[in-house]
Amino acid sequence: MTVLFYLAGAVALLAAGLAVSRRNAFHALLYVVVSLLAAAVVFLTLGAPFAAVLEIIVYAGAIIVLFVFVVMMLNLGPEAAPRQHGLLSPATWIGPGVLAAVLLAELVVVITTAGGDAVAGDAVGPREVSHALFGPYVLAVELASFLLLAGLVGAAYLGSGSRTTGGEG
Amino acid sequence: MTARELTALLPLIGIAATSIVLMAAVAVRRNRTWSLTITLAGLAASFGLLFAARTVGPVQVTPLLLIDGPALFFIALLIAAAVVVVVLAADYLARRGTQIEELLLLLLFATLGGGVLAASTHLASLFLGLEVLSVSLYAMVGYLRNDGLSLEAGVKYLVLAAVSSAFLLFGMALIFAETGRLELAALAGLAVPAGGLHGLTLAGVALLMVGVGFKLALAPFHMWTADVYQGAPAPVTAFVATVSKAAVVAVLLRMLAVTGEPGRQLVLLLALLAGASILVGNLLALRQDNLKRLLAYSSVAHLGYLMIAVVAGGPLGAEAAAFYLAGYLPTTLIAFGVIAVLSPADRDLDRLSDLRGLGRERPLLAGLLTVALVSLAGIPLTAGFVGKLLVVRAGLGAGQWALALILVLGSVLSIFYYLRPIVAMYMQPAEDGAAALPPAPMAAGAVLVALLAVVLWLGVWPQPVLEIVRETVGRL
Repeated sequence: MTVLFYLAGAVALLAAGLAVSRRNAFHALLYVVVSLLAAAVVFLTLGAPFAAVLEIIVYAGAIIVLFVFVVMMLNLGPEAAPRQHGLLSPATWIGPGVLAAVLLAELVVVITTAGGDAVAGDAVGPREVSHALFGPYVLAVELASFLLLAGLVGAAYLGSGSRTTGGEG
Repeated sequence: MTARELTALLPLIGIAATSIVLMAAVAVRRNRTWSLTITLAGLAASFGLLFAARTVGPVQVTPLLLIDGPALFFIALLIAAAVVVVVLAADYLARRGTQIEELLLLLLFATLGGGVLAASTHLASLFLGLEVLSVSLYAMVGYLRNDGLSLEAGVKYLVLAAVSSAFLLFGMALIFAETGRLELAALAGLAVPAGGLHGLTLAGVALLMVGVGFKLALAPFHMWTADVYQGAPAPVTAFVATVSKAAVVAVLLRMLAVTGEPGRQLVLLLALLAGASILVGNLLALRQDNLKRLLAYSSVAHLGYLMIAVVAGGPLGAEAAAFYLAGYLPTTLIAFGVIAVLSPADRDLDRLSDLRGLGRERPLLAGLLTVALVSLAGIPLTAGFVGKLLVVRAGLGAGQWALALILVLGSVLSIFYYLRPIVAMYMQPAEDGAAALPPAPMAAGAVLVALLAVVLWLGVWPQPVLEIVRETVGRL
């Protein structure tokens, strides 16, 4: 059903726009999470459940949790306690909550619709994805690992404490 | 994967294996000499493996990479430039008191990314190659962690390159939406009867060109160039100016070769970028008092010249572009190499006023820089002249009269600013309070002299290299 695709796409755009325009980093992050969830639902409606799950595990799960931790740690201080209390007020979560509820409703529709009619095209599962990754795209996988390695080496060097090997300290 | 495909991939595998071996060696024990030896030996071995890859002929390795003549030619250029940068960086970082191992690793990764770009026939490998190259460059540009300028340049490059990658990805998505394919060959079927491109694909290709234009620093995407060139450590600047540019030009040539005749809008777009780059680069370079910034804007102009050959297309255009790069790389390496060799421990020797009196104090290095600037200006008997000649010939052959005229105009303008450092070196006395220059290192000096020989050889007797270019790149 095309309407599900466009609805999820609209949620993704709206959440992304709100994420950019929020002044509080924590509020913005909540919208980023919603935006990523919406992208996952877009994948789902396109017939890529595996990509949708990966999107949630990798982005919404791992990376955003990391972001949230960093933001919360950076905000530590005497004024942090009342502010963290404020995070529980409805003004904080009502927006992302409504958008996430829309996505949840879509998910329910997709799952309950009989015979996969809510999904466009054939579903692409883990088997097809791994066939592609270890068949024609095997070099892309290797290159992606080098990309991560390059990022890792660069970050480790720039972040490491040992300033110099000698000379000026 | 067959033995033939693996043989074709050997040069890239060599670079990748070198980085792994180096990483293992560094993990066991940090030793400058060992790290340098491993890196140089690995790069030399990879260069040698190019000849093994050549014997198996053009091989399509999975849909992602095509190892053919042009790919091998550009990978050879990249590896040679990387070797020079390693030698320059060894001495430069020692003087700065900074460890070199991570830079060597990142440099190997970046060279690998560049090699993948030069061989890529698929949007996925294009993007991955470009990202491996860029991500390594972020950290390389900001490598001097105690230096504010270097860090600032690194962050600037990170932000702007990430934005340009987003453009590139969006363009790829649009092309995929229209054609359903990710091979570069998908662009070949774009011609509709009217001679134009499909709307979505046209937008996609335009966005791709924004990404490519950013990496090549073509006007109007050149804003980052001067700051990054100035802030990066001089050997890294040399790397940015040579390896990253050459790799992207290689993939652009391939893209246009498959698009073929019908991509007329694309040609118009590139012609506009070329003209704008020549004018903007040369005009902005006129007022620079910093040699690195001057060379940055001059590189904008030079990539504009190069784009004329790319726009001209066909075997003639590709050959001109390849030869131009073969001359531009050693010339640029000399210019930044001299800066690297002369820089004291606390900053890069890059102000024009720093160069005063250099002709008397360091005649050899001053001579090297002079030849490099003269070659960049395109004076006869240097590689720059032959390169420009070929570019003009290719441009006129394709009927690009306006661009050829702009090239001549730009070259005339450029002589003014290329002469300014030369005047400073030979005709102005050294400042009284000027600090003593560091002693010139043997290895870097020898490499620079060898590059000088290449520049002069290409200018005086270009025939052998032209033959090589014709045999490899001419078959694009």
